[in-house]
Amino acid sequence: MKYMLMMYEVDKDWVGAPEQEIQESMNEHIAFTQYLDGRGVAWSGEALRPSTSATTLRPGADGLAVTDGPYVELTEHLGGFYVIEARDLDDALDIARRCPIATGIEVRPIWDIDTVEQEAQNA
Amino acid sequence: MTGVDAAVAEAHRRGWAETLATVVRLTRDLDEAEDAVQEAFVSALATWPRTGVPRNPVAWIITTARRKALDRMRRRATLARKLPLLIVPDGSGGTGGDSGGDSGGEATAAGPQDDTLRLIFTCCHPAIAPQAAVALTLRLVCGLRVPEIARLFLVSEPTMAARLTRAKKKIHEAGIPYRSPTGDELTERLPAVLAVISLLFTEGHTGSQGTTLTRPELLDQAIRLARLLAELLPGESEVTGLLALLLLLDSRRATRVGSGGDLILLADQDRSRWNTEAIAEGRALVERALRTARPAGAGPYTVQAAIAALHAEAPTAADTDWPQIVALYDVLLRVHPSPVAALGRAVAVSMAVGPAAGLGELDRIAEDPRFAHYHRLDAARAQMLERLGRHTEARAAYRRAAEAARNPVERDFLTIRAGEPEQDRDRS
Repeated sequence: MKYMLMMYEVDKDWVGAPEQEIQESMNEHIAFTQYLDGRGVAWSGEALRPSTSATTLRPGADGLAVTDGPYVELTEHLGGFYVIEARDLDDALDIARRCPIATGIEVRPIWDIDTVEQEAQNA
Repeated sequence: MTGVDAAVAEAHRRGWAETLATVVRLTRDLDEAEDAVQEAFVSALATWPRTGVPRNPVAWIITTARRKALDRMRRRATLARKLPLLIVPDGSGGTGGDSGGDSGGEATAAGPQDDTLRLIFTCCHPAIAPQAAVALTLRLVCGLRVPEIARLFLVSEPTMAARLTRAKKKIHEAGIPYRSPTGDELTERLPAVLAVISLLFTEGHTGSQGTTLTRPELLDQAIRLARLLAELLPGESEVTGLLALLLLLDSRRATRVGSGGDLILLADQDRSRWNTEAIAEGRALVERALRTARPAGAGPYTVQAAIAALHAEAPTAADTDWPQIVALYDVLLRVHPSPVAALGRAVAVSMAVGPAAGLGELDRIAEDPRFAHYHRLDAARAQMLERLGRHTEARAAYRRAAEAARNPVERDFLTIRAGEPEQDRDRS
């Protein structure tokens, strides 16, 4: 199964952050991705720019309204994500435990159309 | 009840969990498995009057349920599935430790006990909210019907059905595997299972809903589950400890309420009516739990059971070994700090040392924000103030406690105390 690990953090603009802090965070993620490779986990992942850079579209009476800012204003935001391949939720949680964590990581299964169809055939 | 009805009821009680646990592995779908098992019991009611009760009724049920499940799966084969299938790992291996990957050498054949454990650990997975896990466990492990569970939790049937459907959907969609953990992972996952059983018991012991103090059916189911788990995991001291705790607390069931359904405090209970059989079993289990505890020491349920055993052993409230209880609460606060344990310690101090010392303890722990709405803190304060002769303050504390209490029987008790004239209270 594929899972997304959504990393939440207090909104932070890494542009202008102290060099050492950036390096430390980079190192943590490099270590995590090395762990993923060592474990043989297929993965992808990205870091996001701060929520202040977000633009949101909402359907309205006059078509799509474009607004400045994230979909929901919170004190913590989605700061980045990984998509990993895991056997089941226990496996995914075991992997997520090793992911660098700020204020929280949400683990969500990803709709996998191939698997659903394959299971329908096997059943 | 006819002989056949009784035999079916007995097979249901003894064999439901094992049957469902086995069939789930076949269907890899909780709803399908439930329906197949239900059909097998219906079939037993129809068949056994003709054929006689089989020599091994549970084996008959399992065979029939498996056949029903296969029939259903064949019929369903052409239909597209709405939910992904349950993930059933081979063997019961752990989920990759530090070494990564699968841990080998654990692909032992799954026995019926292993299947039942799988079912329990799946229902009580930490990724399922505790209240939903309790309902799911009652349905899938205890085999209670949805209307029964709805009645036990005093919600409507559609509400309970929706809660169960959501929980089962979470298991399928999130990929919660149908497996029981082993080794270190078992130690890590066990507290969630024990918490579910404990929550069930607590709700039955002093219900947050309903009009009575206790709800015996919930107590019975909680003890039944603790017994089942203790049979499946005899080497886990905390499981033994939990069963001991529940038996010891439940030994006072008959004396906790008066003839009018009113609450009777531990100190005022008729100890000759305590269940001596439950106490004897509970004490033996506490001793075993203490003997088999991990090197790190006894866990929270075992320590609480030891405290309950001291109460059960005391011929009167005054004869209770309060200093020893204080010492055990110290241990409990070390292994599992909680506001409830801190309150228990304060009450024990008030008995071992005196009410003034107890009040000092309460003042200290009242600073904990988690106590903001905990009525038992005010109730304990009220009793200590009474013993010091500070009746006006005591009544005010009883009033605050009564306002915050959720159980109506407990609230009535506190309200009466809040309003009683001073001279009547001097005796206690």
